[in-house]
Amino acid sequence: MSNPSEKAYRLALQALKRKDYRTAADLFAKAAPGYQQDREFALLRESTRLLLAVQRELTALKEADEELEIEEVFSNGQETDVC
Amino acid sequence: MSHVDTLKSLESLLASFLEQAVALSHDRIRLSEGLNRLDGITRRFVGGEDLTDEIGNWFAEHRDWLDRDDLQPAVHDQVTDMLAQIQRQIHAFPQSSPATEKIAGEITRWSEHAGVGRQKLVLKRGPEAAHAAAEGDTIAPFGHVLDRISRLFADISGRKQHLLSALDDALKAASLQGSREALLLSALIIYYLKQSSYKVEPYVKRLREAESLFRGGGSHV
Repeated sequence: MSNPSEKAYRLALQALKRKDYRTAADLFAKAAPGYQQDREFALLRESTRLLLAVQRELTALKEADEELEIEEVFSNGQETDVC
Repeated sequence: MSHVDTLKSLESLLASFLEQAVALSHDRIRLSEGLNRLDGITRRFVGGEDLTDEIGNWFAEHRDWLDRDDLQPAVHDQVTDMLAQIQRQIHAFPQSSPATEKIAGEITRWSEHAGVGRQKLVLKRGPEAAHAAAEGDTIAPFGHVLDRISRLFADISGRKQHLLSALDDALKAASLQGSREALLLSALIIYYLKQSSYKVEPYVKRLREAESLFRGGGSHV
């Protein structure tokens, strides 16, 4: 049977192919014990983690923008016409 | 450029990088998909599920693996090991069907093919030989190792255009598979290249990393 680290790495690459970065990051973490000295592995893992961090930050900024819009709609506690 | 634009640009850059990195690994991914699938089938089949059709489909899709001469020995061994487990399970069936017989035939064909040119890798020494080795016989063991290294080089260099490509594969096998023969082969190639005035420092560094991993027991094979 396949080594668990090898299998996790293989599944992580497949997840990257599907652009499922969250799953890929989880699988890279699972595979990490067997690839501590592997530069290619480290590069792919860190790039995936950085991409997820960037996406989180973008989502947070988008949510902040939406909050601002709500504040405009309910200025002074009264609903205003935004059209 | 705004903060959001910068982040979006970085997101696009990273996504593109990962896409290209995965595209470069296309063949490895195809191999990995095939191995994962066979691994899953083997586990379930050994667990008692009837997956005759799935195994047949796997053979239909991956028959070309049998004729590939660039398949790494470790991958070849993994497939052989999983197929052997499936075959044992088939033999344990009280009754066989034409489908299971066909699969057993395919597995036998794979095993026979796997055995060609690889049987010498299995070394079994009797008590007398082991005793002689303990007393200092280093000639024969070194000869066997040299033989294995030679076969490994033939496996690795099959379709390569340059010795550096073979060295790259040997170093990968040494670090990823913890192969002692791959480590020794890498060292030999590096020394040869150094004698031929190649710049070998980056490879020496990788060799040392692989060696430290090997010594530290970080290998997984």
